[in-house]
Amino acid sequence: MDSNPHSPGQIWSVSEVNSAIRRLIEDSVDTLWVRGEVGNWKRYPSGHCYFSIKDDRSELRCVMFARDAGFLPSDPENGMEVRVSGNLTLYEKKGAYQLSVRRIESEGAEGLWRIAFEKLKSQLEAEGLLDSSVKKPLPRYPRVVGIVTSTEGAALRDVISVLDRRAPWTRVLVRGARVQGDGAANEIAKAIEDLVATGEPEVIIVGRGGGSIEDLWAFNEEVVARAISRSTIPVVSAVGHEIDVTISDLVADLRAPTPSAAAEAVVPDAADIRGGLADMPRQLAKALQAVLERREAATEHALSRLGLSMERRVEPLQQLLDHDLERLQTKLRIILDERTHHLIAIEGRLDALSPLATLRRGYSVALKGDGQIMKSVRDFIKGQSFMLRVRDGEVTAEVTELQVGEE
Amino acid sequence: MSKSQEAQREFADKDDAALSLEERLRRLEEILLRLEQDDVALEESLGLFEEGVGHVRDAERILAQTELRVEELLSKGDVQDMELD
Repeated sequence: MDSNPHSPGQIWSVSEVNSAIRRLIEDSVDTLWVRGEVGNWKRYPSGHCYFSIKDDRSELRCVMFARDAGFLPSDPENGMEVRVSGNLTLYEKKGAYQLSVRRIESEGAEGLWRIAFEKLKSQLEAEGLLDSSVKKPLPRYPRVVGIVTSTEGAALRDVISVLDRRAPWTRVLVRGARVQGDGAANEIAKAIEDLVATGEPEVIIVGRGGGSIEDLWAFNEEVVARAISRSTIPVVSAVGHEIDVTISDLVADLRAPTPSAAAEAVVPDAADIRGGLADMPRQLAKALQAVLERREAATEHALSRLGLSMERRVEPLQQLLDHDLERLQTKLRIILDERTHHLIAIEGRLDALSPLATLRRGYSVALKGDGQIMKSVRDFIKGQSFMLRVRDGEVTAEVTELQVGEE
Repeated sequence: MSKSQEAQREFADKDDAALSLEERLRRLEEILLRLEQDDVALEESLGLFEEGVGHVRDAERILAQTELRVEELLSKGDVQDMELD
């Protein structure tokens, strides 16, 4: 039997060694947190990420598999101070030990969330989706309020209790969506689109109660932001976290600090409206009274203006009348003179026919105003005056009765 | 026909019972504003007053509703009443 201490007792294969070391490491070291600076970050198409964390003296190789890396809001930048949590293991193929990372958290304010947030924010900003000019005004008295939140959460109960207290005539249309975890963002976005598609709500509240930045992350995702900004119905974002603003808050038409506050913002208080309405009949009556008073005053004003304008107008009229009267008198004189001449002419004719002889015998001739001889009853009109020519002058007579006799 | 008269006619054309609280309150504001204008005719102002009183009565009727209707929009697009415990 060979007892040479330098001769091999048991020969291990490389795989056996690595496997044994791997078990040794994995069994003896619990999950640990390590702080360091990110270096050589590389994400492969498979979704697995390889990197290292280092301090000023040493470096630790790390791997983060796709199932965990998928939850990262953004890739860390090289040189970034982080805390990573995971388990030590051995990559048997290479015999290299490494930290299998499940979580990465940034040290300090400029975290991964912040990077992702800022990136999306500046993108939406560049598209003009955060401009105050694209904000839609909220209806003052919505008949239908849409809500997108978890049907299990306290947020829904809070919103409904406020709506019930302030505006119980409202109809509430709830579209449930998971508000955290894998796929939550897509569900929220879809729920908003579904509500918009019904065309029924006049305003939509999108939100959830408070939580960690991770819990609220769905509200920082692009798909939710896009759904909100595409909505033709005003959206109120209510993510229950007063300190941190989410992307949803920025894109929404109104940001409310909590779901309850959102409910208060979208409906008026019944008590206020009742107060306003109670006073309304009096206001209407007062307004009507004012109309009547105004009309009275206007009538008086119009009358006094009319009086003044009458005086102004009558003066020139009078002058005109004075002038016209003179002309009229002149004209009348001329007409009278003409008449006289006419009469004289008729007289001449009468003489020529020698009716005067007949007159002298006691006959008379009836004449119209224009000197025409009236020969028939038809020439006389009852009540009208005519002239009788007798031997030594004229008599004005009046027709009192007409009697047609035989010719 | 004046603008406000047109608006009034448009309003009257709408089924009166279908007017929302918002429309009624807005109309009341319009009526008050109109009554303050100098060119409002006596006939019109009386009509506006009566219309306003009607809106007050109907708005109060809406406010008297006490039951908040909560419905859930289902994925199929159907709507069903929602019970909250």
